[in-house]
Amino acid sequence: MAYPSIAIPGQPLGLSSQYASGPGTHVQNAHICASILGPVVEYAQDTKASSGKTRDSPPPVLSVQRSAQLVSNDAALTNVLPEVDAVVLARVTRINPRQATVAILVVGETVCSDEFQGLIRVQDVRATEKDKVKIFSSFRPGDIVRAQVISLGDQSNYYLSTAGNHLGVVMATSDGGNTMYPISWKEFKDPVTGVTESRKVAKPF
Amino acid sequence: MPLDTSSYSLALLRLDGRRWNELRRIHAQISTQAAADGSSYLEMGNTKVICTIAGPAEVRRTGGGGSDAEIKVEIDIAGFSGVERKKRTKTDKRVAEMRYTIANAFSSSLLTHLYPRSTIQITLHILSQDGSLLAACLNAATLALIDAGIPMTDYIVACTAGSTSSYSSNDESADPLLDLNSSEEMELPFLTVGTLGAGEKVSVLVMETRAQIGRLEGMLAVGVDGCKQVREILDQVVRRHGKKLVNSIVE
Repeated sequence: MAYPSIAIPGQPLGLSSQYASGPGTHVQNAHICASILGPVVEYAQDTKASSGKTRDSPPPVLSVQRSAQLVSNDAALTNVLPEVDAVVLARVTRINPRQATVAILVVGETVCSDEFQGLIRVQDVRATEKDKVKIFSSFRPGDIVRAQVISLGDQSNYYLSTAGNHLGVVMATSDGGNTMYPISWKEFKDPVTGVTESRKVAKPF
Repeated sequence: MPLDTSSYSLALLRLDGRRWNELRRIHAQISTQAAADGSSYLEMGNTKVICTIAGPAEVRRTGGGGSDAEIKVEIDIAGFSGVERKKRTKTDKRVAEMRYTIANAFSSSLLTHLYPRSTIQITLHILSQDGSLLAACLNAATLALIDAGIPMTDYIVACTAGSTSSYSSNDESADPLLDLNSSEEMELPFLTVGTLGAGEKVSVLVMETRAQIGRLEGMLAVGVDGCKQVREILDQVVRRHGKKLVNSIVE
């Protein structure tokens, strides 16, 4: 074995005529060089990709593994992204009469490592009587909302919808700062003051 | 304490007892903060720097970002780090230039094309300053970027070099000095040189003081030579960290 067990960035690992460059490596002066710190792995190239040439087998691939990939388990590694039709949990960050901006915290069953910004437009809040919906009486900043991704949206926002019985606000705090409980499909009640506030309520399971 | 006129010429020892080509003690640790994507702690003599890396992460602002990752540098100089407590404004020109120099240096060594529309945030906390600040920041950032697993073509290592000869004395045989501390930096012309890789490829060269052009070559040669020594030391640190990681997997 010509290459070392642990590579450090910039270290030459082998000639590019003998090996192919895999993840974690780059080619410099006809040498495969490591670009990250970690153990070196050699594996045979996927032969299906280069089925045109049958005579000579493709060179083996050299790659450097990220050490953290081996240390951490797979669950932490998989970085989930919201996709269309996924049900997400999001926190309302700000509202205006046309839309509510939210931060997506959970996609499906997986907690995101990073928050994603999403948007609930006024016409996507509920399925019926869309023209009568008021964002102000559906969401408030700080509410936790269960919503469905309807579009990957523009470059900064995912577009979400709460049209559906099971979608809407699942957790809300009142003006007084108390956690409220849902009493109907459009109202939450403060257990301390007894005041009701209107929301687009998600049907509890 | 005029260094170049009194003691140095007699004993050829500097104020802290070093010879002209000696580095200060370099101590470095990798992966010091668990919360960051990559982090390091570096001491070059009494200059102490903590570096943390966040990213590559999605660009926050609207408009997206380009086809390469953008490198942002934040430098926080602690109030207690220097000799006197100085209030630094956000728009300090010297800090701004350091940020620009660091971002520029790493945008050439990191493989930023692998991370389109993302940012790599380099945050440097300066706990103690005693000269060679930019060099310490560059070295700390290199270690933290390795810890973060951001692909790079090679290390950037940096150190400073100065010249003992004053402008007026015009002494051609005056020694260049390696790795200046703050009292030397205050009275001698010096430059910060950063090299990429094991060769003599200079990627960073900053000089804020004036010196005769004849001195430059000597200073640069000493600086590049110092970078090789720094590289050896950082190499050991990285290898030790790599071994530790591999051992923790096996066990």
